[in-house]
Amino acid sequence: MKDENGADSEGSPLGQLITMESWRVPETSVRRTVKGAIRHLMAQLRQGITPEEEPFQSLDDLPVLSEWQRERIAPYPDFFAQARTLVASLETLRTTGAFNRDVALIVAPPFSGLRESLVRLPTLEPSEAAPAPWRLVAPPEDLCMTQAQARQWWDEQDLSGDWVIPELGDFWLRHPAGLALIPELLSRMAAGETGQGIIGCSSWCWQFWSRYLPDAHLGPLTPAPLDAERLGRWFGNLAALREHRPLVARMADDGLYVLPIDDPDDGVRRKHAGFLRDLAIASRGNPGVALAVWQHALRARPEESAEADDPTTEESGKYRECWVVHMDQLSLPTMLQSYDRAIGFILHALLLHDGLDQERLEMVSGVKGAPLQLALSRLVRADIIERGDASGHWRVTPLGYPTVRRHLMSWGYPVDDF
Amino acid sequence: MEETFGGLKGLFSTVTSQAMVEAAVVVAAAALLIFLIQKLVPGVAGRLGGKPRLYLLASVPLLRLVIIIVTIVVVVPILIEPSFENMVAIFGTLGLALGFAFKDYANSLIAGIVTLYEMPYRPGDWIEVNGKYGEVRSIGTRAAEIVTPDDTVVLIPHSTLWNALIANGNDGTDNLMCVAEFHLTAGHDVRSVMTLLRDVAFTSPYTKTMKPISVVVAQHPWGMTYRVKAYPLEPRDQFRFISDLTARGMEILAQHGACPASVPVSVASPV
Repeated sequence: MKDENGADSEGSPLGQLITMESWRVPETSVRRTVKGAIRHLMAQLRQGITPEEEPFQSLDDLPVLSEWQRERIAPYPDFFAQARTLVASLETLRTTGAFNRDVALIVAPPFSGLRESLVRLPTLEPSEAAPAPWRLVAPPEDLCMTQAQARQWWDEQDLSGDWVIPELGDFWLRHPAGLALIPELLSRMAAGETGQGIIGCSSWCWQFWSRYLPDAHLGPLTPAPLDAERLGRWFGNLAALREHRPLVARMADDGLYVLPIDDPDDGVRRKHAGFLRDLAIASRGNPGVALAVWQHALRARPEESAEADDPTTEESGKYRECWVVHMDQLSLPTMLQSYDRAIGFILHALLLHDGLDQERLEMVSGVKGAPLQLALSRLVRADIIERGDASGHWRVTPLGYPTVRRHLMSWGYPVDDF
Repeated sequence: MEETFGGLKGLFSTVTSQAMVEAAVVVAAAALLIFLIQKLVPGVAGRLGGKPRLYLLASVPLLRLVIIIVTIVVVVPILIEPSFENMVAIFGTLGLALGFAFKDYANSLIAGIVTLYEMPYRPGDWIEVNGKYGEVRSIGTRAAEIVTPDDTVVLIPHSTLWNALIANGNDGTDNLMCVAEFHLTAGHDVRSVMTLLRDVAFTSPYTKTMKPISVVVAQHPWGMTYRVKAYPLEPRDQFRFISDLTARGMEILAQHGACPASVPVSVASPV
């Protein structure tokens, strides 16, 4: 299905909404599962033995893509287009009767691009699906309030129709004083006191609230995970945003094809590598994580590296070619060893709230002062977290997310379902 | 009895010095293997978290039992011919020796084997036996070692299994319920305090929120007792978890004007 911009909406990460119960991790084999578990165990055992906190580096000799090349071959998605696709998907569900609630609660794992897409909804041109402009509901400056204050705050918000909350995680703090706003909103939704709206919610945030309010059955929807085929189509679409030639990506070690994926219409049969399948499994179908790994796995041909920074270079050829490094050759961030719980508290707090500034991080994690500063510094050096330039919020990096999730799970923390 | 000892004498008269050396080598190798397992496996387990840690710790006594059985099966044919008569002579003598001289030791050895089968406690479990509470560090042939929260090692003979009550907090899992108690004077909104304490439990970073959290209250002549029941991330976090719940709970209760009950010393500890 192509949208008005020619983008393939079925290949879009937000183009297919499903119920949370029907979400399944992309298929994997027993061999891969065992291999992954052994790797995780070995990583835990190696902690403290091998030097840590080294930024990841590629283990091959091919030149990495320059910023200019990366923006052309594997750019970040067009979140305006994703927002349009999301609204269209919701409208389709409503039309077919598969979804009939006024408020759509969309739960997605971090880096799905949900927040970035929903925040752009108010700037979209009115369409058939949404004739009136969307209204953004922003969180209050101070999240610490009583139930009475929360009621009053929501009374002041216009929730009569076409409202959007890009991230519900911005409306609470894991602190006894920071829990008032969300129960009030959810109870209003359950009572039917709100008009049509969309709420985006991080899967970690929802994991907490679904336990805190076990009777909150709000029929959350979620983007379907990206399997190998959808990843291939999406990467192809992303490259088409800037490049007018089709992208051909082949494995650097054996020359097998990664992109384009097989299209029954063109009649050409290529021998494909299992890279996209491995990527779908490693990222658990998470588009942001998959894109980050994809960007780091791409390599230029040596002769292309010279032309990399010259956007005026006239490139010849029918295809844009690049090479892909095998996943085993990519050195991804590894978790730090810690003898206390500080690292885990910080990472869990950041995921619960989809990023926090330092003051709120202290409040939520209970780690304060020098120990917090030292832990943050170690995590930054290990490329596990980063600080947003504009917001100043600390966030987990997409490349660090898989190891963070896995370690939090093995350390006993409640993790999301994705 | 004289016949038994006579048979035993005849039994060992055929043992050569070469057979003795072979048997000694096998026993030494088995002892070394057991030593390595007991040192290395807990070290590796200490680097892991969650269930893999518990499974690895629990495998140590089982591996040791397997090695001991294999060693006996290998050594006996080296020393003697394993005929029916010879076995009766050996086990008869062993039975007499154990029955008279090492009764309690044998009792603990047998209980140790039952422990491996019934698994009333495993390494990594938090147990209380005869008023001693701690984490099972290792299960030996004769006794289990627990480490108390004050880092004291307590040896509990397996024979205790026959006649003592054994309380196991997590029973082989990584779920251990903790209880934080709050004693307040009467005259406050009970439901409001219950809600506050539930929020305290949900917002502690140590809390395993996927497990049930509950607050129960009981009335006393001097006031109310609230018990917050929740699970820490890992059993070894239990004391830090209860401390965190207590500190956060007292802080928020003070903010909402609830007064902690203070019992007169003469009532609290009558001597």
